[in-house]
Amino acid sequence: MLLMRGVNKYYTPGKAALQDCNVMIGAGEFVFLVGHSGSGKSTFIRLLLRELIPSSGQIVVAGQDLVKMKSWKVPYLRRNIGCVFQDFKLLPNKTAFENVAFALQVIGKSKHVIRTQVPEVLRLVGLEDKVQSYPDELSGGEQQRVSIARAFVNRPPLLLCDEPTGNLDPQTSLGIMKLLERINKTGTTVLVATHDRDMVDSMRRRVIALESGHVIRDQDRGVYGYVD
Amino acid sequence: MSINIQYFAGESWQNFRRNWVMTFGAVITIYLSLLLVGVFLVTGIVVNRIVKDVEEKVTIQVFLRDGISPEDVDALQKDILADPLVKSVRYTSKEKALEIFSGQMEGSPGILEQMAGNPLPASLDIDLKDPRTVREMADSILKNETFLSVCDRPEDPERSLKYGQQIVDKLFAFTRVIRIVEIAFVSMLATVSLIFISNTIRLAIYARRKEIGIMRLVGASNWFIRTPFLLEGMLQALAGAALAIATLVIVQVTVFPRLKDAVRFLAIDLGTGTFIQISAILVFSGIFIGLVGSAFAMRRYLKV
Repeated sequence: MLLMRGVNKYYTPGKAALQDCNVMIGAGEFVFLVGHSGSGKSTFIRLLLRELIPSSGQIVVAGQDLVKMKSWKVPYLRRNIGCVFQDFKLLPNKTAFENVAFALQVIGKSKHVIRTQVPEVLRLVGLEDKVQSYPDELSGGEQQRVSIARAFVNRPPLLLCDEPTGNLDPQTSLGIMKLLERINKTGTTVLVATHDRDMVDSMRRRVIALESGHVIRDQDRGVYGYVD
Repeated sequence: MSINIQYFAGESWQNFRRNWVMTFGAVITIYLSLLLVGVFLVTGIVVNRIVKDVEEKVTIQVFLRDGISPEDVDALQKDILADPLVKSVRYTSKEKALEIFSGQMEGSPGILEQMAGNPLPASLDIDLKDPRTVREMADSILKNETFLSVCDRPEDPERSLKYGQQIVDKLFAFTRVIRIVEIAFVSMLATVSLIFISNTIRLAIYARRKEIGIMRLVGASNWFIRTPFLLEGMLQALAGAALAIATLVIVQVTVFPRLKDAVRFLAIDLGTGTFIQISAILVFSGIFIGLVGSAFAMRRYLKV
């Protein structure tokens, strides 16, 4: 599903944000990417979205070589990758339904598809009652659910989450994680970048740990493992 | 990919309303530059018509000195008739010339009253077989010995001849200056409208940066993101073009008939066909300015 081989990324020459990164993630896996701020988690995610191009090395996502990829093809790559962020990135003047529908609308899906898929995915994330609510009428957890619904509505094979619970309390975070787990069970590969220690320790999933741009640990059924 | 026209139109219209002050400025500058282009085209066409009109008057008039003998006139007339370029030669006496002049000036009797006696010279009116040989013929007359002795102004024989080409030359000298000035103005205004459009589009992009970010994230194609902005620039330019065309229509309806009354001998009339052509030119140059302006803004501010 996802392969990084010998990836280096420099923002300024001589100072690596990511160095000699070798990672392979198979289809259907659930992986935590952990590390302190500045350890390279966001760079990792942005490389996978091809918002960045590595300084050297090879990245393959969903069978496509991102380094050689032509820039006009990037949108079609992103249709295969769902994305969830810490700050939700919802449009404040659109309802939950419209926010999710927007993602389908802008990739040219028909009204019929929108009318059937949007309510379905909103039910999946447990927001069937809040379809017509605006983001400022929703709690943080509910907003993140809308954002997950938007990322997943197109049924992408890969879901990337950058600190999805960073703004949420532990109880709500647990609910979000359970939702991500449910999505993972449908066969979607899920990669969660986080520094939520309790979450990682309680879920016991594969953990890839980053420190100052290096992969220092990659273990199945791992724990957060740092001493803060 | 099914392209949602309703979506694009909606987005463009929303931006149009949001930034209406900037939009207004852009529309006005485009309007002014296109109006200038329109005026430029109309005057160009009118001048060309006049030039053609004058050129088609293939007569060469040879003015004769007062009091020359009929034999000299006969001799000159024969000389000229002998030239293969000439179709016919007519003699107009002083009296006849005055009569024709009075006929032309019927509308303004004041001029006739102020004329003392008959200042008009007698003339030979030469009709040519081919209008293109006017210049050639004029040159050959100028070399004619008889002509030099009987012409109205022996000290400056060139001025004893009157033919279309002279007027055409003067007209061209005049219109060339106007044309240069107009081109300078049009290119200046076009530059200003380009800057204006690209500025409004930049604001529109800025106002929608959040949406654009999400669109990129969920994989909207580059053209899907760009099209509303291109459309918006084009809408502004089209609004300017429409205003310019409307102004030209008003001018055509109100000013032209009066102008025609004032100077009756000039063929200043634009047919509907010509007018449609001018309108088409304005619309297309408007679309061009709009597209280039928004493309410029997108290159700089919309990284996709």
